[in-house]
Amino acid sequence: MIEKLQLLHPEIALFITTCVVMILGLSKSYTLRKSCAIVTAIGLVITAWLGAISPTAGDDAVRGALFPGLLPYAKTLIPIVGLLLLAMLSGTVDRGLEQSVSRGKIFDPIRATRGEFYAFFLFSLTGVMLCATADDLIWLFLALELTSLPTYIMVAMSSRRLRASEAGVKYFFLGAFGAAIFLYGFALIYGAFGTTNLPEIRVAIGAGPVGAVGMVGFVMAIVGIAFKIAAFPMHFYTPDVYQGAASPVSGFLAFAPKAAGFLALMMIVGTIGWSHGAGGGLPEEIRTLLWVMAALSMTVGNVLALLQTSVKRMLAYSSIAHSGYMLVGLVVGPGRSDIANNGVAAMLFYLLCYGVMNVGAFAVLASLQKRAGEDGLVEVDTLDDIRGVARQYPWLGWAMVLSIFSMIGFPPLLGFWGKLMLLTSAISGDEIALALVLAVNSAIAGWYYLRIARATWLERRPEHMDAPLLTPVVSRRVVALVSAGAVVAMVVVIAPLQRASARAGQPDARPSLVEQIDEPDVSPEIEPVAMRDSSRDEG
Amino acid sequence: MLDLLQNLPTLTTLAAEGADAAQSAGMTSYEFPGVGKDWMGLIPLMPLISCVLCGLFWFLGVKSKLPAFTTVLFLGVSFVLTVAAYFQIHPEGLVQRVMWFNWLALDTASEGGGLYIDFAFYFDSLTILWMLFVSGLATLIALYASEYMADDKGPGYCRFFFAFSLFVFAMSCLVMGDNLVLLFLGWEGVGLCSYLLIGYYFKKPSAVEAAKKAFIMNRIGDLGLLIGIMMTWTQFGSLEYSEIFSQIADLNASGEEIPWAITIIPYLFMIGAFGKSAQLPLYTWLPDAMEGPTPVSALIHAATMVTAGVYLIARMYPFFVLNPTALAIVAWIGGLTALLAATIGMAQFDIKRIMAYSTVSQLGYMFLGLGVLTSAGGAFHVFTHAFFKATLFLCCGAVMHGFAGQLDLRKLSGVMKMKGWGIVGIAMLVGCINLAGLPFTAGFFSKDMIIAEAFVTPGFGLLGWIALLTAGLTAYYTFRVFFRVFIGPVEYEPGDDHHGAEESQDHHEEEAHDHGHFHPHAPGWAINAVLAILAVASILVAGVYFMGDHGGWAGSMVHDSTAYYESPYAAHDGEAHGSPALFGLDPHKAMYYISGVVALVGILFAWFLHLAGRKTAATSRADALKVKLGPIARAAENKWYVDEIYNAIIRVPLLVASHIFALIDKLIVDGLVDGAGWLPRGVAKGLRPSQNGIFQNYATGMAGGLALLLIIVWAMSMTGGSG
Repeated sequence: MIEKLQLLHPEIALFITTCVVMILGLSKSYTLRKSCAIVTAIGLVITAWLGAISPTAGDDAVRGALFPGLLPYAKTLIPIVGLLLLAMLSGTVDRGLEQSVSRGKIFDPIRATRGEFYAFFLFSLTGVMLCATADDLIWLFLALELTSLPTYIMVAMSSRRLRASEAGVKYFFLGAFGAAIFLYGFALIYGAFGTTNLPEIRVAIGAGPVGAVGMVGFVMAIVGIAFKIAAFPMHFYTPDVYQGAASPVSGFLAFAPKAAGFLALMMIVGTIGWSHGAGGGLPEEIRTLLWVMAALSMTVGNVLALLQTSVKRMLAYSSIAHSGYMLVGLVVGPGRSDIANNGVAAMLFYLLCYGVMNVGAFAVLASLQKRAGEDGLVEVDTLDDIRGVARQYPWLGWAMVLSIFSMIGFPPLLGFWGKLMLLTSAISGDEIALALVLAVNSAIAGWYYLRIARATWLERRPEHMDAPLLTPVVSRRVVALVSAGAVVAMVVVIAPLQRASARAGQPDARPSLVEQIDEPDVSPEIEPVAMRDSSRDEG
Repeated sequence: MLDLLQNLPTLTTLAAEGADAAQSAGMTSYEFPGVGKDWMGLIPLMPLISCVLCGLFWFLGVKSKLPAFTTVLFLGVSFVLTVAAYFQIHPEGLVQRVMWFNWLALDTASEGGGLYIDFAFYFDSLTILWMLFVSGLATLIALYASEYMADDKGPGYCRFFFAFSLFVFAMSCLVMGDNLVLLFLGWEGVGLCSYLLIGYYFKKPSAVEAAKKAFIMNRIGDLGLLIGIMMTWTQFGSLEYSEIFSQIADLNASGEEIPWAITIIPYLFMIGAFGKSAQLPLYTWLPDAMEGPTPVSALIHAATMVTAGVYLIARMYPFFVLNPTALAIVAWIGGLTALLAATIGMAQFDIKRIMAYSTVSQLGYMFLGLGVLTSAGGAFHVFTHAFFKATLFLCCGAVMHGFAGQLDLRKLSGVMKMKGWGIVGIAMLVGCINLAGLPFTAGFFSKDMIIAEAFVTPGFGLLGWIALLTAGLTAYYTFRVFFRVFIGPVEYEPGDDHHGAEESQDHHEEEAHDHGHFHPHAPGWAINAVLAILAVASILVAGVYFMGDHGGWAGSMVHDSTAYYESPYAAHDGEAHGSPALFGLDPHKAMYYISGVVALVGILFAWFLHLAGRKTAATSRADALKVKLGPIARAAENKWYVDEIYNAIIRVPLLVASHIFALIDKLIVDGLVDGAGWLPRGVAKGLRPSQNGIFQNYATGMAGGLALLLIIVWAMSMTGGSG
């Protein structure tokens, strides 16, 4: 176990930061308290750097891992999107407390939540990163729960309004239900194979059939983890929780648990492997399961979003739909090595795209507030609230419209490339029907996304409403612009990003190696890719 | 048009001969580019950095001249690097490639094809030739604009230099890109910047209209270009120049018949080129584009962007020499545009518009040059024109700036004699003699290369005469402006634009509103310095005609690139090349005398009608002539009613059609779409109760979903799944 530590440098750095931040938040000095966000940012930058130099395919440290190239990609992506999220999250809690302190009230550490908030945020990101390192069911379960548990509290403490507490409680109970389901699944898998070690399970599956118990275990594990990614049938909580939480936290929920969920699904489905049946691919049951989940998530998410008047609910439903899109990549599997065919790589790439554009849209919402009677200033939520915002704040209007168009998949923005990868991989993996479902859903999604874009740019504020105001947290505006800029600018570096995700989504080829061993002309240095292909041809 | 039809048969014979010549002239091989020095990749990066910085200044609300000097600095560095690249590339005639990064890699492996686009730059002499004047003039004009735009300091100033830098970046991508996608990006980028800058004074309805007109007319051309690019991809499976050119060279060498799909590509590129370079029938946007600030007119709508069409054809010349009919069309469109625009220019009163029409007309010459197989002449004319036309525009801009937006040549006279206007006047004179093609000026040599070639290429004699006539008209309208505005009795009437007077508002606010006490303000150091540099450069450019051994320096630049094509009829100075003689002389020598005389005659007419005996700014002898000409003069003044004709034959039918379609849309399509849209919404209404906020229901839903999925999986394994 000790040799695993060398894979965990980024997580360790993040954990140290967490501890520091937790203490800083309790300091009597305002400057020190204020430095929480900055320390968190520094920690994330160091983590990203450590993540970028993580062992990758070919290193001894990751020998036997399911996806040996995954670590550098995942452990860089997560802290970097984390930085965006951090800029959006800052200023969410403790504003009232700080105000009363500045009016002369004595600072009471018991009531301060700032340090905890950042610490929970970092704990959650640590959990996400641990999912990428997981090679054991127990590890995976702990990582997933480390991701989720802090988010329940973050939702509840994100706003002083009752809705936030309600959302937090709802999220916690349903989350516990979801966790129970996949934990039960894990137990059944252990029962079927006698081990919790994923590579060992994979070898066992390669040797014989999965069996009924194992199959039920996998189905329950996958469906349970679907809670984390807000996919059908575990999507019900999404709109209520996203709407109840403060916008920055909703933006966070749309990324961190989703990233953890997808990494976990990658591990679980990768354990089963995409080399079953005559033409390769998942076992028929698992394929159907993921197929149905993907198609229904897309459809349910997009269709239900059509009737919404709340932008936050729309984005919540769209988050369900985006999970559906990404599941397509999982159904297809890695295929050949390159990005156009590798569904797993396409999924990982889409996760990056979604992380960026999603922050953009939520950050615009988080930057604006409105006066609402006795409640004082509250966040904007409905379409009416953001009507004509672009006239007043053109930069925010641009940020919104760029993020939205990217989510539609409008060329040449980032989202387009993400969707293109998913579509090409689906088509080259012979999942034509699923590709069609994806395409039709993109069209349906255009309806409500364009409503948001139209409201911000083309429509005027209704007469009876006050103009929305900017929140005093500057970093939210900045991060809205940065994300929207990235949606445009990252198009310039599409090919390197694709290559990085292709490396990350390339599974270890060991099971095929066994079959290849008696062929003398295969040199040991040969690319794992080539082996997979030739082995598939023989099958 | 009749002439065109009559000439076509001759051109087709030329086609066969041309193709033979191509094979014998050693065009059959193409050398793949070597790896260039990394620093050459910085040339386009500089304007990009400047653009980002100006955007940042805009965001931060900078109110000083900082954006201007940032732009000048970075563009200057870009120019210096271009000069360095010139010494790297030109002496040995190298072709090099500098890579920024892989941009797109879409592997559609199963079909063996794929789309690979690198963000890389292609350096050959043609690229360098264009980049030299693009970056050089951009630097100078940015300096000029630092003063010209000074009244707008603040967000407008930042916006201006943001778009200006973005333009230079896009233009660099257009010129330096190593593939057609990068060229197209640059092409659209310069179009966008042109739109933004024409509409810079967005509170002025005419500026907004002009911006839209430019953008929409260019869309027509861009469609052609886009289809051309797609065709190229389907035919060659690549969009990289080196790949395309080598395949064309192989095709030539194989001697097989050229597939028809390849022969139509030049027509498509041509449409794009005509749109961007304002040729018939898509030229009407350019004169209106003068609504933009003058530095923009000088840089984008005179010197650089509008030559993109010429560049496209020169770059894609291997396609064009495959199809002489296409070349002939290029030549004819160019010649006719030159004549038409010159006749309109003669009758206008707005000096900036006259210059705009002269740009259209001179671009016509460049296309004529390309069409009659002297790509060297075309490229040389682009080069000289860039300098003298920028000079002319900037002089007009100085006048406009100083006289509160006055551009009517009937309201200004004797500007050169006023205090502080000497440099402007001299620079204007230099520009005018170049444009008029007075002997020994750069414009004279470059124009002669084209006209002489038109005469010696069989089937194009008539075009030669048209070009010669146009040269005379050009000399006339150019000096009409000079004689009316810059010399003669001193008289002026300020325009109604107080923009220019705002700077001195503190001192004489009342005067600014009272025309009687208006003081024109003479240009400051930045404008004067830029004009002086440009005037000197315009003169010196003539010298490069005598450098190099392939028809001047520009000729040798083109010679080292794929735009070079050895015309079987090429007329070389003093070389025994079997060139046909013109009036018993070597064609270029003959043309020196003829066109020199033509230019002088034009100037004499202008002198007689507009200077000799003129007492006031508003009247001249030309008025009497105008009365005699009656409807012709009126028609020319109204631009031959081309806008009205377009309106009647294109816009009105389209409008009618769009109303009809709107009706159909409303009655039928909307019904269908609403029907289709109703389906998901209906489903949504059905599903909505599931989202009722009660969390027990949610838990039930989740459990139910799990059960459903388990049942599906169970049913599958019962029916014989792989299990």
